[in-house]
Amino acid sequence: MKTQDVMVAGVRLVAHAQRALYRPDTGTLLVADVHLGKGGVFRRAGIAVPSGDSDTDIERLDTLIRELSPRRLVILGDLAHGEATDRSGWVDAFRSWRHRHGDTDMLLVEGNHDRHFDARTLDLATMPEPVMEPPFVLSHHPEPDPRGYVLSGHVHPGVVVRDGWRKHRLPAFVFGPSLGMLPAFGSMTGLRIMAPSEGQALIAVTPAGLIRLG
Amino acid sequence: MPNISPTSASWRRAESRLVAWFTAQGRRPAPFQRAAWRHWAAGEDGLIHAPTGTGKTLAAAGGPLIHGALHPATGLQLLWITPLRSLATDTTQHLGAAVDAMGLPWRVLRRTGDSGSGERARLRRGACELLVTTPESLALLLSYPDAAERFANLQGIVVDEWHELIGNKRGTLLSLGLARLRRYRPEARVWGLSATLGNLDEALAALTPRGVLVGASSPKKTVIETALPDVGEHFPWAGHLGLRQLPRVLDTLMKARSSLVFANTRSQAELWHEALASVWPDDPSTLALHHGSIDPKLRFATEEALREGRLRCVVATSSLDLGVDFSSVEQVIQIGSPKSVARLLQRAGRSGHQPGAPSRILCVPTHLLELADIAATRDALRQGHLEPRHPRKGCLDVLAQHLTTLAVGGGFDADEAYVEITTAWPYASLPRERFDATLRFLVTGSSALAAYPEYRKLVLHDGRYVVSSPRVVRMHRLSIGTITSDGSLQVRYLKGARLGSVEESFIARLRPGDRFLFAGRNLELVRVRDMTAYVRATNSRRGGVPRWQGGRLPLSGELSDHLRHVLATPTATSPEMKRLAPLLAIQRKQSAVPNEGETLCELIRTREGEYLFLYPFAGHLAHEGMAALLAYRMSRIHPADYGYAVNDYGLTITAATLPPLDASTMRTLLHPYRLATDIVTSINLMELSRRQFREIARVAGLVFNGYPAHSKTLRQLQASSGLLYDVLRRHDPDHPLLWQADREVLELHLEIRRLRRVLVRMARSAIAWKEPPRLTPLSFPLWVERLRSGISADDWTSRVERMRASLEAKADT
Repeated sequence: MKTQDVMVAGVRLVAHAQRALYRPDTGTLLVADVHLGKGGVFRRAGIAVPSGDSDTDIERLDTLIRELSPRRLVILGDLAHGEATDRSGWVDAFRSWRHRHGDTDMLLVEGNHDRHFDARTLDLATMPEPVMEPPFVLSHHPEPDPRGYVLSGHVHPGVVVRDGWRKHRLPAFVFGPSLGMLPAFGSMTGLRIMAPSEGQALIAVTPAGLIRLG
Repeated sequence: MPNISPTSASWRRAESRLVAWFTAQGRRPAPFQRAAWRHWAAGEDGLIHAPTGTGKTLAAAGGPLIHGALHPATGLQLLWITPLRSLATDTTQHLGAAVDAMGLPWRVLRRTGDSGSGERARLRRGACELLVTTPESLALLLSYPDAAERFANLQGIVVDEWHELIGNKRGTLLSLGLARLRRYRPEARVWGLSATLGNLDEALAALTPRGVLVGASSPKKTVIETALPDVGEHFPWAGHLGLRQLPRVLDTLMKARSSLVFANTRSQAELWHEALASVWPDDPSTLALHHGSIDPKLRFATEEALREGRLRCVVATSSLDLGVDFSSVEQVIQIGSPKSVARLLQRAGRSGHQPGAPSRILCVPTHLLELADIAATRDALRQGHLEPRHPRKGCLDVLAQHLTTLAVGGGFDADEAYVEITTAWPYASLPRERFDATLRFLVTGSSALAAYPEYRKLVLHDGRYVVSSPRVVRMHRLSIGTITSDGSLQVRYLKGARLGSVEESFIARLRPGDRFLFAGRNLELVRVRDMTAYVRATNSRRGGVPRWQGGRLPLSGELSDHLRHVLATPTATSPEMKRLAPLLAIQRKQSAVPNEGETLCELIRTREGEYLFLYPFAGHLAHEGMAALLAYRMSRIHPADYGYAVNDYGLTITAATLPPLDASTMRTLLHPYRLATDIVTSINLMELSRRQFREIARVAGLVFNGYPAHSKTLRQLQASSGLLYDVLRRHDPDHPLLWQADREVLELHLEIRRLRRVLVRMARSAIAWKEPPRLTPLSFPLWVERLRSGISADDWTSRVERMRASLEAKADT
């Protein structure tokens, strides 16, 4: 299954196997923690990480937009991993991608990594967290908010799923009673394994689709 | 400066001063000590092997001290390398006393990871003649451009506890450091000190290309005793913990003033400490716990207390195997099978420091079959069959680290560096292509010719490879060494005191409020933040005990041979085998007890499915490889899901229905032909190699973590090794470090060489094919092991279907 419906705060949301969340009633596509240019930050510090992941991630965003034609894209923080330099190829790639989708609104809810990079140079609107979008509160950090159901990033949630004698570590969507967390969108991101708890819906992302756990 | 001959009068006068110091303490130099002094005087290299507590330190130090008295000089004369920081303190004091006794004006200094800034500053100014340090601190010294100058007057290098270093990457790193020192100072002597090993010649060769072996003539006697379960007592057929033996152990502990209790794993040590604490009749502060994941400060405090005789019992793992001389220890207890003769000998040597007194060790079996292990160990010891420890050859991660050290410490020419590095034993047969691939990775970032964009580490400047970025220099110096901590979380109290570290996977299963046992304390998890688990003390335990991966040593090859022999000898006279006889009688009646030239196979059908059991007695690592191989070959005859489990005695493979099997099919399935190809296809090599990559990435400088003072600035550079592994597999599959990871999985994780030897042995042996009606004493322990691995032909789509189905089934019940 490439997508999975979830009812959150009375609204139907669609979890997508490309680690994105779609809200059909307003045509909003949400992604979190893209971490563009992460490899470059490592390479500049003398840590040999291959390049190519930022390009892959921009292509994945492109495919999602073609597939869902959302009215707007909201990035829940950490679009860029660190500072960019003249040699950071992803900046141009992202900018030209942005221009190809000029009619899609794009908003960045600023996260902790975004202070290193001014996203307005990418023609994105930016807002400090949290952004009200009833019944939701969109933010980077998963802080509960009395004003609504929080949809957030930052954590890079993951789960361990048992499969006979094997265990798989998989990125996951986590929906609690008042707070939801998206898996990190970026290919070069780690996982924080979450323990399942009562009243929580977990959706694991595998290369072959989504699995709903409780 | 020419050496003064040991036959000259002046040399003898200087020697007599040292002998007088011995006499003043009521001792006499042993013949091997005097022999070592003379070899030193003759400018030779060598290896001194003798049991703990026989005076190896002075055997090695005597030569340089006499030399120092005859050739007064300033500047670093003697470099003393020790594997443990805690040992460095002891050694510095010990050597300092000897230097004073000889009336030498030498300044003795210690430089380890926890040296104070004063000590480091004095060292930076070069103010010492004798330096005690660790392999990592030596590498750090070599990373400063003034290294050549610092070692310009060096007379010699002594490597203490070489047996602890030779088999691991710290030893490899040290070999490279020694190659560099030999280049700075070809006339410096290189000496090693070692416990007795099965391969002393190789141990010597790995240290120096030319040298002599010097050994103590009279080996210390070791007595192995066993905590025998009573004949009428019901004693389990399987199990790892052995707490049933608690009363017997407590009884023994109460008879001595001070004891060491060795467990085989850290979790076992935690549980035994807990159990002893619950029945401890004495002052609770006289019982302590010591293992490698406990914070170094706490461990050091325990070692101090033990030295001062304030402890009655310390429960420990191999963390207390080496080094520090605890002369107050009266007896040693080993919980569970010793697994290796050399290790048992070393542990036993922790007691009985009075001259002439034998070392004693009490072995406590955790289940019946371990009685045979103990009998086999005694057999092997009697015949002097000790395990070898082989140097790790050609590790590219250590090479990458060393090349960066050379680049940081003044730069290098590629051809010269290659020649120098191949003088180090572990790299003697390193092909030039592999050296070049590693260098290319450091320069361009990848194995390909095209450089990664924005990457910079080593740069070519006037024909020499150097590091130009001060940040890269700083990060490299911070991460020198080969000890890894990736994937582990610090455990500390809310108030700040550190307790040690546990694996991330354990903490990930806990929620705040959950309790667990660690460092001998009952703890409650409060929160996890910044790779730290904050805890508070509680008074009761409901939760579990952390487990650490890779703690379990396999049964050694030497012990395996003797074990097969004692099992096959029905007329055994040892008390262990007599006690085991009734169990072996049941085994013989239901199935068979394998003879030495025989391989026993048992096929048992149960309600859950069919089980094939096989007993090569080759240790759990080689069994894992063999199980994967067998399951894979079966799946080619008959595709299905095969699960398997292993222990040190054998392996089991299970499926709902196994393919039709008999002795001749087994022969085909176990044939060593195409082992290398089949094993790579059979095991989930990727998953194992991804795990192995942790250490490699850290050693090669791909992963940075855990520098308390720098955590903020380096946070952006933190990535898990698993993530890097995936990225490299995807974009750079020919990367030299991936090659290294695969190789380590085959050699270390699956012991492929041993596996091949065992398969060849089995191909020549007879197959004893049995189909017992129910589980036998040999099969039972394997049957209760959880199935942890298996073979199944599938892709992500079928995995997802299976997981979904299993989740739905659970939801229905």
